[in-house]
Amino acid sequence: MGAWLINATLKWRTLKCNHSLFKDYYQSLIPLMRLPVTQAPLMAMDLEMTGLDPLKDQILSIGLVPIVNGVIPLDGAQQKLVQIRGSVGQSATIHGILDNHLAEAVTIEEAMAWFVAQTRGHVLVAHHSPLDCRFLQQDILSIYRQAIVLPAIDTLVLEKNRLLREHSVLKEGSLRLGACRERYGLPIYGAHSALTDALACAELLLAQVAAMGGGADISVADLLS
Amino acid sequence: MNASELQPVVQFLSSTAPFDTLPDETIVRCAKSVTVGYYSKASGFVKFDADAPKLYLVRSGAFEVRDPEGVLVDRVAEGEFFGFSTLLSGEKVVNRVAILEDSLVYHLPQALFDQLRSESRHFDKFFTRAFAKRLRHEARFKAKDLTTTSRISTLMSSSPIMIDAHASVTQAALLMRNSRVSSLLVTDNRKLVGILTDKDLRNRVLAAGLDGRIAVHQAMTTSPISISSNALIFEAMLLMSEHNIHHLPIIDEQNTEEVKAIGMVTSTDILRGQGSQPLLLIGEIERQRDLASLISVSKQIPLLLQNLISADARAEEIGRVLTSVTDALTRRLIVLNQQILGEAPMAFCWLAFGSQGRQDQAACSDQDNGLLVAEEMDDYAKGYFDALTHAVCAGLDQCGYAFCPGNIMAQNPQWRMSLKAWQQVFEKWVVTPEPKALMHASIFFDMRSVFGPQSLFDALQDKVLAQTKDNDIFLAGMTGNSLIESPPLGFFRKFVLERDGSEVKGIDLKHKGNALINDIARVYALSAGIKEVNTAKRIRALMDANILNRKDALNLADAHEFIAHMRLSNQGYQHTQGLKISNYLLPGHLSSLVRHQLRDAFKVVHDAQSGMKMKFMRSF
Repeated sequence: MGAWLINATLKWRTLKCNHSLFKDYYQSLIPLMRLPVTQAPLMAMDLEMTGLDPLKDQILSIGLVPIVNGVIPLDGAQQKLVQIRGSVGQSATIHGILDNHLAEAVTIEEAMAWFVAQTRGHVLVAHHSPLDCRFLQQDILSIYRQAIVLPAIDTLVLEKNRLLREHSVLKEGSLRLGACRERYGLPIYGAHSALTDALACAELLLAQVAAMGGGADISVADLLS
Repeated sequence: MNASELQPVVQFLSSTAPFDTLPDETIVRCAKSVTVGYYSKASGFVKFDADAPKLYLVRSGAFEVRDPEGVLVDRVAEGEFFGFSTLLSGEKVVNRVAILEDSLVYHLPQALFDQLRSESRHFDKFFTRAFAKRLRHEARFKAKDLTTTSRISTLMSSSPIMIDAHASVTQAALLMRNSRVSSLLVTDNRKLVGILTDKDLRNRVLAAGLDGRIAVHQAMTTSPISISSNALIFEAMLLMSEHNIHHLPIIDEQNTEEVKAIGMVTSTDILRGQGSQPLLLIGEIERQRDLASLISVSKQIPLLLQNLISADARAEEIGRVLTSVTDALTRRLIVLNQQILGEAPMAFCWLAFGSQGRQDQAACSDQDNGLLVAEEMDDYAKGYFDALTHAVCAGLDQCGYAFCPGNIMAQNPQWRMSLKAWQQVFEKWVVTPEPKALMHASIFFDMRSVFGPQSLFDALQDKVLAQTKDNDIFLAGMTGNSLIESPPLGFFRKFVLERDGSEVKGIDLKHKGNALINDIARVYALSAGIKEVNTAKRIRALMDANILNRKDALNLADAHEFIAHMRLSNQGYQHTQGLKISNYLLPGHLSSLVRHQLRDAFKVVHDAQSGMKMKFMRSF
């Protein structure tokens, strides 16, 4: 997809959208598309889920870490734990989240309202973004009755494209977040949470943009394609 | 949000000096105020924003800081900083910072930096450029200060038991019984005039057939040997064993108007309170009657050193204690051999040079000694001193003080001379200073008499100092020699960073640290005719005489103590790891705080070298 097409698609979606909240959300993104990636307000995100199926599984937590003018202000880093319907089940062991830890958690409705408010006017960044976006889109659809498509910069895709320029075959696991970070000499983070991984993803994007030559002549739309 | 979720940042700050000393909530607050930046090597240099100065804390990667002239200031890696001088001074950045590797950096804004400085004295000290203050501050926190724990005042009873000289002996005995003590301080008009002990009551009252009505001053020991409350316990022990006494009144030294007793210690107090290994060891040395038993006693010396190191004693004290043991061994060997050889034909002094002279011996010290005799020796005297010195040097060697590889020993006829001959040797060094000859001679200028009449030694030292004082050519030569070595700049990762930017595996803390400070103190002391030879005492005397300014002197003394402390604790580490004992420090296992402190100490030494160069080599 070319950058112009991204832009055109976004404008078309804005036009078509009847829900004022999301019309405004799309609208806030349009001027960002042409900005150099070093100047555009970005929001790295990571979700923890009970599983991988957006129709059956639920969001457990959402971590958001902003990138402003090419640096990460940690005072903007936030995390929300989400109440789940039913038991956490099997994946509790994976995420280290127990049912009773969710006492401070908010409802999925509150979480989505918060998410939309926080990320409005920011371009989303995630590692393997389609998965996270599908969960968010699913919850937004069921809460607001509005089908939307969240555009997001995918650090996994950026890395895959870069690696494929150098190698024809990629090694198993070479696109995992930790493996990608290691290639840029970024530190290894032991603990995993939505917030930590969102921070890890934000730092990875900074490193990727630097490796592309600093990003002054790379627009947001270039990275979305 | 749950702040502890910023774990990678919080954890990193908690393990990085000086943040590691901040309370947890403050660290969390710091983590929230940080911005994270990425610096790619390809972009070359860090671009500073003059409007928003920051502290740059390297999370991963590496940078190199150079001043506007291109001189290397520092190379910084994970856990280290740059940019703080601007935050402290408010002046704009002048140094250039090259990006050596792709790096992740935490930026701390000026406001947070200022706030942390005002909240935490420790944080402030860490960054303020008062290097020495910081070293001192740390030393107080870290090393258990044995000067306070081992002062004689710590053993003293809080309220001394005293009696008036005109009271009756019965009253004294009652007081002793009721207070459960074996001795009393006797005063007259609040002045200490004597002590009264159980033994005095037995020997001078009961055995003499007197009754309890006689006055205390008739039974007491008059003008007792006493000690200042500032003295080390160890020194009190020495004094007691030297005079074979068991009670020692303690005098308040601040009060020079009148001799005021403030307490008493007994040999039992000391043994109970201390375990007092060094004293016991010296006592044992003094009791031995032959070489074989002296050798077996001297086997305890490495253990003594180990105990002192693990007790975290000050390096200066450890040097003093170890040297006292060497001195005692030397004296005992001289006495034992004189019992075999007979009286000496003339007065003589056993001279200690180098580290023994300076009282800073450490593990595996070599011998450096000489003999000073009062007059020219005839054949008998030559034979006598030849036999004596060979026996003493061989004895020291067998006790663990290896023969000097450079043969600077009393058993070498070259270093066994009359007062006149010694004066001539020194005169030659001083009047026609050859740089190379001077380099080997420098240890002779750290000389001390271990045995023999003080007046004989003074006659030599006074003459030497009269010649060195204000002797520009000699002092320039000594200074030139001492500037051949310079301390490193600091550390970079597992390496030591030299001033020329090269990285080496380790540092010789003796030759690139303490020896340089010894050199500086020696040159200044000789220039001013100061008699002290101990480096700390020389520095103190130079400060008191206004030759070194107070700040520089304290900085230098602190750097000396800190580097010596590092050297000893490194040797303690080597010992426990079963490694060869050396002065070589590998920076790999140093904490970030210690790395910063050592770096500061090196800077103090380098500055002092520059100062000395300015002062003594200006015209050459």
